[in-house]
Amino acid sequence: MKNFKIIISGLGGILVLIIVVPLAKVISSTDPAVLRSTIIEPEVIHSILLTLRAALWATLASLLFGVPLAYALARWNFPGKTIIQGTIDLPVMIPHTAAGIALLMVYGREFLLGKAFAKVGVSFTGTEAGISLAMAFVSLPFLVNAARDGFLAVDPRLERVARTLGASPWQAFFKVSLPLCWRSILSGAIMMWARGIAEFGAVIILTYHPMIAPILIWSRFENFGLKYASPVAVILILLCLIIFSGLRWLAIQKKES
Amino acid sequence: MLRLENICLRLGEFRLQEISLHVKPGTYLALLGPTGTGKTVLLETIAGVHHPSDGRIHIRGQDATQLAPEKRHLGIVYQDHVLFPHLTVFENIAFGLRLQGRPKPKIKQAVEKMARFLEIEALLQRRPSRLSGGERQRTALARALVMEPYVLLLDEPLSALDRATSNRIQNELKRIHTELGVTIIHITHDVAEAFFLADCLAVMKDGRILQEGEPEEVCRYPRSPSVAELMGIENLIAATVENARLVTAMGDLDLPPRLTGSSELPRRVCLTLPGQSVELFPAGKPQDYMWQGSLKISEVHQMNGTGIFKLILVHDGGESLKTYLSPREMELLAASVDIGMTVPVGLLGKGAHWVPQEDAPRQA
Repeated sequence: MKNFKIIISGLGGILVLIIVVPLAKVISSTDPAVLRSTIIEPEVIHSILLTLRAALWATLASLLFGVPLAYALARWNFPGKTIIQGTIDLPVMIPHTAAGIALLMVYGREFLLGKAFAKVGVSFTGTEAGISLAMAFVSLPFLVNAARDGFLAVDPRLERVARTLGASPWQAFFKVSLPLCWRSILSGAIMMWARGIAEFGAVIILTYHPMIAPILIWSRFENFGLKYASPVAVILILLCLIIFSGLRWLAIQKKES
Repeated sequence: MLRLENICLRLGEFRLQEISLHVKPGTYLALLGPTGTGKTVLLETIAGVHHPSDGRIHIRGQDATQLAPEKRHLGIVYQDHVLFPHLTVFENIAFGLRLQGRPKPKIKQAVEKMARFLEIEALLQRRPSRLSGGERQRTALARALVMEPYVLLLDEPLSALDRATSNRIQNELKRIHTELGVTIIHITHDVAEAFFLADCLAVMKDGRILQEGEPEEVCRYPRSPSVAELMGIENLIAATVENARLVTAMGDLDLPPRLTGSSELPRRVCLTLPGQSVELFPAGKPQDYMWQGSLKISEVHQMNGTGIFKLILVHDGGESLKTYLSPREMELLAASVDIGMTVPVGLLGKGAHWVPQEDAPRQA
């Protein structure tokens, strides 16, 4: 038993170190003075705010469409359900630059939906809308899968009982299912937002400017080297750690209460 | 109150086949059947969760076949209570009333009245996770009953409870039925439970209703070997009727006078014989018995905590019979009963009945 615990802990610990060491290294190697001067650069502030905002829009829009899809996948049996479930996971599996190309070929100015949206004044290339679209495309599976698992964990008979007590399908959804699985949905939304913030490959194909933080890091690394890229990377890492730790903590507090 | 006409439905592995039932107002109907026979599917079909592929459902004379569950005005209580875990007991009970948009004081009044009736008024602010099994079941009953449903549908409401709590809730159900006069359909696989509670019994198997009637009548006169088996009649003996005698693997049996008079007695029958009609060391008058002979004791089991012994007796012809002996009877017997012993046995004509031999007889 003792050996078992040592081996399991050792193997798990190695994985934790693989994640923690590079993050700790990049944070500890950055000169605090450079960090302070970088944090007040308008370009950096603008880029980080744009990243957070675009990922937030992507998450909110995906909630509107993703939660109903997750509910349908959890509750109903219909032809093609397995195919749809597989399709949902596709954006995670394909290279994100390829995802960006695919999006460009549909939402680009010269293409089908791009033209249609352009008529109502919405463009997806070189705009914040394009950034959100790319972020949503690649990070949607995190939200849909978490929400679907949340709905699956809610006994469908709770809805049936609610219906016999006079609830319409909408009332059963909003008064029973949603309150019971909002934590899963929130968890999925946090994951989606986080994944959206980190997105680079798909966004750069659709929108180089305005520059989101990952593109800014890459651009500074390419043009000025590691010394100028790492402070931005550190700011982004710290900001993400603070935000997501805070959100996770809030979710746990709610659960415990 | 509720009428089902030829309800058919296929749902995964479950199948309802031409289910017809007529439940009069104020009836307590027990739907008895083995696990996996489609009882819950039938209950949920009545509730409107599933729609039948064929047949009609009438509630209070109105065709409700395609009506949504919220329009049927029926209450459902599941075996494992299915309380809303995010709501308190009060909120659970008030759920339906709030949906109706009733004023808050009226809701409070109705919830408290129902909570008092079911003796859960002290629990109103608790969450379901902090309730015992019995308290949860009372809450589930209160939640359904406060809506004054036309029919209360109970899906094995006592199965998940310990014996003492189950007995208490059984009494509670009896009181609910008597005092509120609500029509109840109660699913169970427990014959004793059905007998205690119901004034009408429907026996179901493989998605079909096999027999319907008063519990005593169904038990006394089962219409098929399956019903006899489900009613807990221990012995089913395959027989052929020849010259007013029953030819069985154990030899010929005299037809009891009650059965002799049955004009519709078919050629191939299944004799149903309760355990108490199989007597060891027969001491009555010879004419009391339809058969006397010797059988070998193959198994002896003491029933849990009751002191009663269950014996399995086998005949050379392959037939095997079950009987029960009370501790008092064991004491009175001249000899001890041990496995392998051959003992004289008499089959009492009293309590015997026949059913058509529609399928292979099985030992209960």
